Amino acid sequence: MARTRSSKGASATKGGDQKKSSTSTTTSSSASSSSVYALPETSNNPPKLFILPKSASPSARVITLQHPRYHRPARFLVCPKAGFFEFTAVSPPNSAPRSWLLQPVPPAAAANPDRAAQTTQITQSPALYLATPYDPLFLLLPALFAGDASDAKSKKRMFLSLDDHLDAIPAPGSGPASDDGADNASSPLAALLASSTALRRLVESRMRAVCDVVRAGDDDMFRANEGKLLAELLGKARRMVGADGDATASPGGKKRRLPASMEERFVRRALEAPVLGVRVPRGGPSATTTTTTTTTTTTTEEGSGGEGGEESQASDSSVDTAASSESTATAVSAVTAATSVAAAEDEAVTSAIAASDTVVSLQRMRVAFDFILSSCVTPAVAELLRAELAKGTAAEAVDFAPLDDYLALLAKLRQEAAAARANDFSRKREADEEADERAEKKRKKEAEEKAKKQNMSRGVKNLMKVDTKGMKKMSDFFKPKAA
Amino acid sequence: MTQSILRFDEPASQADAPKTTPHLLPCRVHHDGPVEPVESFWEPKPSQDGTTFTAYFRGRKLCGKNIKLPQGYRGVVAVPSPDETAEAPENVKKVQVIDLEAAEPEGGMPEAQSSLQVQAEFDEMLIWGHDVAVDSADAGGGVADPYMRAVGEWLAVAERIHSYPASDTQPGGK
Repeated sequence: MARTRSSKGASATKGGDQKKSSTSTTTSSSASSSSVYALPETSNNPPKLFILPKSASPSARVITLQHPRYHRPARFLVCPKAGFFEFTAVSPPNSAPRSWLLQPVPPAAAANPDRAAQTTQITQSPALYLATPYDPLFLLLPALFAGDASDAKSKKRMFLSLDDHLDAIPAPGSGPASDDGADNASSPLAALLASSTALRRLVESRMRAVCDVVRAGDDDMFRANEGKLLAELLGKARRMVGADGDATASPGGKKRRLPASMEERFVRRALEAPVLGVRVPRGGPSATTTTTTTTTTTTTEEGSGGEGGEESQASDSSVDTAASSESTATAVSAVTAATSVAAAEDEAVTSAIAASDTVVSLQRMRVAFDFILSSCVTPAVAELLRAELAKGTAAEAVDFAPLDDYLALLAKLRQEAAAARANDFSRKREADEEADERAEKKRKKEAEEKAKKQNMSRGVKNLMKVDTKGMKKMSDFFKPKAA
Repeated sequence: MTQSILRFDEPASQADAPKTTPHLLPCRVHHDGPVEPVESFWEPKPSQDGTTFTAYFRGRKLCGKNIKLPQGYRGVVAVPSPDETAEAPENVKKVQVIDLEAAEPEGGMPEAQSSLQVQAEFDEMLIWGHDVAVDSADAGGGVADPYMRAVGEWLAVAERIHSYPASDTQPGGK
């Protein structure tokens, strides 16, 4: 007997039925709670996942430094041998929840049996920390260009020793650099370099790459040089797109270039021309019209040839055949000419829109350079470098002119395409709106009539059919009497 | 994130470190800690070609993709050492003060205030998607899985951006 255990049924039959259902639910719940396995205690110290460079030595430390770009404390892995590494946390958006399940690989038979078997663990947080190489040069940039930020008018940079430069680096969490706040919280970077000579040497060598150096006594004095910095960053950008010499000799075997997602988003889409469906069909009809015209000319030629044949009658049949063959030959050549013209037109269309290799590589270069500027360098310094690049005096300067020309053209094309499309849409919508309006009116009228008819009684309807010609109007009886 | 200086505490020998396989599940599990016995609910099976995996988790089909870490990198599962993380904030402050006073550390590196105990290592990860495998960037799609991009792209890009001539870093270039 099928019985629904809905609340309605239960309330209707308050007797044994409800009791039965309650007992059944309790049994089911007890069955689910008495699971075969009990969940172990939640650990309040879950493991974290890191990806570390193999080159880092055991003496590497995780320290907090002021991030040169975002002016926030950030974690760095510093190793006296391998240098600096920046921690990047990968975590998916909240819309895509993730968690880690850490399953130990069953050890091989030869592995030491004394080790307790690793347990499988769940880590709720989906974060994954990547330690990626970091050029210490960027850590120094805020200090090197510290003078510019405070007073842009007097752009006088002093030759300073490394220690003096380091003093200008703000400690993490202390906000932007302030002169009085510098001494009470010294930068951990300075402390780090003071304690490790290897790191100090590394940092000095990086300073040398972007600074003018003057030797004063035992110390080297450094002063920032935009040109050198620009050359350095352009070199980095070149390496990023694989435009430097060893592009083919990458360790991965395949040609180095921008990562696929960046290539797709910033190079291919940025250079993508608007849909070119406007011109191509125009090329088709024109080609066909030319072919038709040529065929008509050939027919007239043939006709003339025929006439010639008629005139000569049977004098020379070879002339006729020659004429006809000639005409067909011209027809064929005309047709090929027409198609070739059409093809040339197509080519012109595509070449006007597709980016050339130089433009694409320039765009890659610019994307890489902008990426470096935006992710590693403060906006003020980035402005400085852009100005320097625009001057074009640097040794390794890149001429972006072809790219700019192309982009300008592209912008124009896009604008035109957008305008054309906008016109199309508005026209279409207008027509649609008119039709809609008409349909709406009609529908309303019909609905009104229908409602009227429905409200009328049969008697009234019948009375409406009565011929009232020659009768007095009803309202006449109700007029106030004329005095 | 704590502000103290950390170090990674490795097992004595590299070969000693147990291997693990991190599975990135396409769901959030509101639990931290051990979940034994795993065989009762988690049994990934490789496909024929060995690049993709299939598993069933609570009746749902998951498709996994294998990501190998690039050369020169290793994965580490580490736990913040429990004694130091349990400390109260003022104790942490005290530790820092002591550390500054005893500022002559071994190996030219500052003394670490707490450590991350390396529990296990891994050299590949499995990224699971519900019903379909996660898409990678080279499949032509616009948006790839962030983990795929991080491991496949960002490591290589960062290496190229931040690389500098190694000859300069050698000592003696004064």
